[in-house]
Amino acid sequence: MNRALPEMLQCSDMTVLQRQRARLKWQTEQLRQQNYFCELSGVFTSQTGFQQGGLMNGAGGGDSVLSNMGMSRQLKPDPGLETAWPELGKINMGFGSCGYGNGPSFDMNHAISRTSSCPPAVAAAVGSKPVEVKGNSEKMGSAVGRESFKKRKVEKLQNSKVVAEDEYKRIKASEEEEEESKITGPNTIKISNNKKQNSGDTSKDNSKVSEVQKPDYIHVRARRGQATDSHSLAERVRREKISERMKYLQDLVPGCNKITGKAGMLDEIINYVQSLQRQVEFLSMKLATVNPSLDFNIDNLYAKEEFPSCTTNFPTVGMAPEMTNHSPFLQFNPIQQVVSGCGVEMGMGMGMNSSDMALRRTISAPVSIPDASFLNTTCFTGPQQQIQPSAPWEVELQNLYNVAFTDTIEASDLEMEM
Amino acid sequence: MDLQNMNPSSLKSRFATRFLRALTKINAQKPISSSSSREIFQRYRRIKVAADKSMAYSVRSRRSWSRATLWRLRTRSPRSRLATLARRSSVKTRTTRAASHGATVVDRKSHGKENKEDGGVEAEELRELVPGGEAMDLCNLLDETAHYIKCLTTQVQVMRTIANLYSLH
Repeated sequence: MNRALPEMLQCSDMTVLQRQRARLKWQTEQLRQQNYFCELSGVFTSQTGFQQGGLMNGAGGGDSVLSNMGMSRQLKPDPGLETAWPELGKINMGFGSCGYGNGPSFDMNHAISRTSSCPPAVAAAVGSKPVEVKGNSEKMGSAVGRESFKKRKVEKLQNSKVVAEDEYKRIKASEEEEEESKITGPNTIKISNNKKQNSGDTSKDNSKVSEVQKPDYIHVRARRGQATDSHSLAERVRREKISERMKYLQDLVPGCNKITGKAGMLDEIINYVQSLQRQVEFLSMKLATVNPSLDFNIDNLYAKEEFPSCTTNFPTVGMAPEMTNHSPFLQFNPIQQVVSGCGVEMGMGMGMNSSDMALRRTISAPVSIPDASFLNTTCFTGPQQQIQPSAPWEVELQNLYNVAFTDTIEASDLEMEM
Repeated sequence: MDLQNMNPSSLKSRFATRFLRALTKINAQKPISSSSSREIFQRYRRIKVAADKSMAYSVRSRRSWSRATLWRLRTRSPRSRLATLARRSSVKTRTTRAASHGATVVDRKSHGKENKEDGGVEAEELRELVPGGEAMDLCNLLDETAHYIKCLTTQVQVMRTIANLYSLH
């Protein structure tokens, strides 16, 4: 089967559909042999992109031959190839609009997804294959389509990772589109429309593609030969980024699921941001009016809000300040340099905390009884209660110092939060 | 939410820390037995500024909107000499940062807003809402908006909790 595809591609008497089916099977088989678990690692290097492109180009090379024989519309992806990645999407489209049905399209999509998400493994394994297939296609070949797409491929393989990622996301988007709609006449036109909008880049060769099997799609496709490639490619990338971000915002803003379209979404987002800002103002007004002479509550609500669970992480927090201070370092700061530097930081923290502790104790001394109700959750004994409000405080202050020292924690936090 | 609470260096805890500290400072400055509306209004302003500042400091300089907020807060201070100095130095850094983010102030002003269809009218409104959004293209603007929304919700949650705890006593 590994050799079967090139040979099959060479046979000129096979129909396009059979060739595509064969290619699908071949590719899925190839990819199934690979390791699937490097998922979305984001390791899209141009080299692997090249090899991916090689793989796809090899497969598409057969198509170029076919189209030049005037048999297939699937050439369209191929000479229109600008990077390795759009070809994946275009092959997608070609198969989808051929009316294969969802099954093979899924396979192709998943195959392509796997291809794009496992560049090292696939590239390593199929390193020999594209050369072979390309060799075969060259043997087959008419020069026009292939030369053009090879040229473009070489130019565009210096594209950055961003393009690859965006293409991948676009492929996923078109995957979703295919999942949602059935392959019927009008629906496939819609898919083709969407894909046309998604993959706005064109080439002159695309306009060469004449009416083929399904005349109801051709109007859509023929219109694609308009803008120059680099501009439309950049436009497409930009649009993909924007739509991806809009989707993310749709998840953030509640009640946006029904709204489609950029303008409506933007209106919703604007309303939501305005309402949040107004809430902040309202709450700050509320905090200004509430009688804040209850200063002792600060430590209470600090302890209650921030560290009811945190203190459970430190069962030793009541015992000795040194013990208290060690455990947060070891738990919150897995970075070696921080742990090694914690002696210095502890010194600073302790200096700060002694004054703070004195302050806190004077404040909280007259109201230790109401404190108990808040601090029961942490199951501390009586004599430690006065230490209790300050212990999380000093823990937190030391954490703040550590955070100030190590920006990497911030980076990882923000990454997690995003 | 609980997971974030468990992590003491999460955005929520950082913000809560700073905001509580600022709040105690503000409350310590004036005893609030007097309930004149003017004083309340002043306190409200201070608390609001403290909330924005705490949030911006919790995010550090990692986001354009936080940088813009901090810059705005600094230049709004009554110390005019320092403010103008800060403005001069910040403008350079701000434009370079904006440039590094892929949008330049010069381009926007010279080309006008009609040439680039950057999401149209709504995007302009959004730019006004999100601090620092004037010098961003739509792509970065949406990115900043997402993070800004996240931080705003955190801010609202923390402040609401604090207000509830205050009002309980």
